[in-house]
Amino acid sequence: MAAETGSGRSLSLSSPGRWIESLSDTQFAYLLLTPCLVLFGVIAFWPLLRTFEMSLHADLLYGAERIGPFVGFENYVELLTGERNAALPRPFFDSTQIFTSALTVTIIFTVVSVFFETVLGFGQALILNQEFRGRRWARVAIILPWAVPIVIQGMIFFLLFQPTIGFLVEPLQQLGVFSSTPQANSVESLVIVIVADVWKTSAFMALIILAGLQSIDRSLYDVADVAGASKFERFRTITLPLVLSSVLVAMLFRTIGAMRVFGLIETVSSCSTVPSLSCLVVQAFSSSRYASAATVAFVTAAIIGLVVSVYIVKFADVQGAGGF
Amino acid sequence: MAPADGDQSSAVDRRRFVKALGATGLTASSGLAGCLSRGSTGPQTIEIAANTDVQENIGEIQAKLHEVGLSNDIELSAIAGVQSSGSRKQQYNRWLSGNLEQPALFMMDSGWSIPFILRDQLVDISQIRPELADTIQQEYFESFVRSIEGQSGGLYGVPLFPTTGTMLYRKDLVREAGFSPERNNWATEPLSWQRFSEVTKETMDATDTRWGFSFQANSYEGLACCDFKEFTGSWGGSYFGKKANLFGPVGERPVTVDSDPVVNATRMVRTFIEGDTQNPLSSVAADISPRAVLQWQEETSRRPFSNGSVVMHRNWPYAIAIAGAADAFGRDLGVMPMPYGVTEQNATYEGYGGTTSSLGGWHVALNPNSPKRAEAIEVMEAMVEPELQLFLFELLGWLPPRPALFETERMRQVPVMGRYVETLKMTVENSTPRPVTVAWPQQSTKIAQQANAAFSGDGTPSQRMQTLKEQLQAIEEASEPKDAAAGGGGGQSPSRTTSGGG
Repeated sequence: MAAETGSGRSLSLSSPGRWIESLSDTQFAYLLLTPCLVLFGVIAFWPLLRTFEMSLHADLLYGAERIGPFVGFENYVELLTGERNAALPRPFFDSTQIFTSALTVTIIFTVVSVFFETVLGFGQALILNQEFRGRRWARVAIILPWAVPIVIQGMIFFLLFQPTIGFLVEPLQQLGVFSSTPQANSVESLVIVIVADVWKTSAFMALIILAGLQSIDRSLYDVADVAGASKFERFRTITLPLVLSSVLVAMLFRTIGAMRVFGLIETVSSCSTVPSLSCLVVQAFSSSRYASAATVAFVTAAIIGLVVSVYIVKFADVQGAGGF
Repeated sequence: MAPADGDQSSAVDRRRFVKALGATGLTASSGLAGCLSRGSTGPQTIEIAANTDVQENIGEIQAKLHEVGLSNDIELSAIAGVQSSGSRKQQYNRWLSGNLEQPALFMMDSGWSIPFILRDQLVDISQIRPELADTIQQEYFESFVRSIEGQSGGLYGVPLFPTTGTMLYRKDLVREAGFSPERNNWATEPLSWQRFSEVTKETMDATDTRWGFSFQANSYEGLACCDFKEFTGSWGGSYFGKKANLFGPVGERPVTVDSDPVVNATRMVRTFIEGDTQNPLSSVAADISPRAVLQWQEETSRRPFSNGSVVMHRNWPYAIAIAGAADAFGRDLGVMPMPYGVTEQNATYEGYGGTTSSLGGWHVALNPNSPKRAEAIEVMEAMVEPELQLFLFELLGWLPPRPALFETERMRQVPVMGRYVETLKMTVENSTPRPVTVAWPQQSTKIAQQANAAFSGDGTPSQRMQTLKEQLQAIEEASEPKDAAAGGGGGQSPSRTTSGGG
């Protein structure tokens, strides 16, 4: 009996086994990816679709229901035409309030912070790529800010610019850079948030660009030396083209991160003073305007998607030109 | 043959892979089940979402609850929660929206309990324990109870402790400048803003103190709900006309932030910060507050006062406990009601004028999804006991929610806080709750932004208040109950039903 049962079990096990064996490599790869795709579908796409569906309903402030009746694209129209601004803590976009409109604040923050992070990160990576004594310690020093938790980083910059506590307020006021209450002013607060972000995240850029630099074949530089290329020519013809794809990947990550900025603003300043798109989502949500929150969230996701696609097109160009 | 071998090995790998995957799945799921089952607690432990004060003193609080009648087999476990009240609101919102069974009880800020009530996310206590609701509605401070009542007078929690804005000051400094707080009875006879600012200015100059008056004017909820509301109320003004409009009806009440009393209050604060401003309020002394108030909240404004750099300081009673301690200013700390701009008789809007304090505080509400409802209600019943309220005043400085307890000798005997009971009673009696409706979260943001900008000199007070009026009106219109969705609900009705007592 035991033998019979055993052979029966091996028979039943062997048929899916045989089916798997008969799959081509591509089919097998897709089979392995299926659980992952199903999981993604559940935890990523379903909430995305649900958010979109919520954004097509009206806000409902009374009663147990969370959202009101179906209103189509009314929320989007009102958000983009500025009619919804009153219900949001700061306007989505208002050309007369560049530094207190969520869209423009997010764009300014993203462009300025990613620019400085790329330039500084590139510089740091070039230095770290050199052979010198104490290079290991220099690497640690540059990467250290990246390891600081966002709340601690936020408190550092919050306290630095607190009157009577921070030591930077008075000297910067005397130099005419800031007022005596920089965190009560949207422009100055935005500058502080950008500086805080650059301080921390340049290290991240440096890390990824350094990885790109390390993968460049050293013999190319030997060839350049033989050909008598100057340092600048070596950089322009070898380093830059070969590291560009790494730089673009790093910039892509940082751009996505910068467009979603929220925690840093909340800890260093406040969403009321420096409103980002994510700030609007959180604040609309916490005042029970779930449909408005979903609408801003979806528009934010669409804007990020647009920016990402620009990078991906650019990335394909670089890869094509690089002959990979 | 080599390719065939290769295929064979690949097939074996695949088979092993599938087996390994199955085994991993089993292990993971059993592990997860273990984690989930460990999460449950005993049937008699009631979780309460509270703050660090409660968590650190939970043993003593629980012992006292047992002493006043809570069954000994019910234990209390406290979740400290985040420090910021706004973040805690968001956390509760997520928990209650997710229909979580725990925690059974929530400590809720009176500033945002009403939106939870309007969303049917809390249990109406008056439905299941009418006698408990009656006791509270008859014996507690009426304006405080209002912030946990529904539209039809139902009570959605047990008021725990009220807090009110008070003016702390340095008795030693004002005496040195030649003033006599005792003789003039500052503790219970409010000063006018004119007198207050003159005293402050003279004391600053006579004692060489760096700043005169500190308060909270950062662009945050505390400015809209409290400081700015006190300033405007003391000048006889308000955000929404007469006091009866505090809780609605949203969309139908007037917006009155551009009226003279509100503009005058704004000009007064502007004058305190920068005397050479355009169009200062000439009746008050200028330059008594640092520009830094524009960035200060409670703690950031209290520290300079505790360090001895400030004569007068507006804050909540917790600051009295700190600054009045023997190792701080001790008996040199004075406390007085908030000064007034016009008397009640001369107020533009009914119910305002005279000394005006903002009313804050915390309630304890019941989670409708809790399977331990009976035990949780027993805890709530014990919280109504006067003995427990006096104990919490002693332990944590929480003011009792019952006016009658302010008359007791025991309250006066409490170290530090006991010295200021008369003033505290007066501030609670003259307090106004914040105008919490469904529109308040958006409105308070706009009020704080515009008041902060006006104080900083970014636009004139009247320009800023005009802009604010337009913004508040737009929010009122966007928050009006729609017929289909409202289910008969408006804002909060100011009138209580007859069954509510009071």
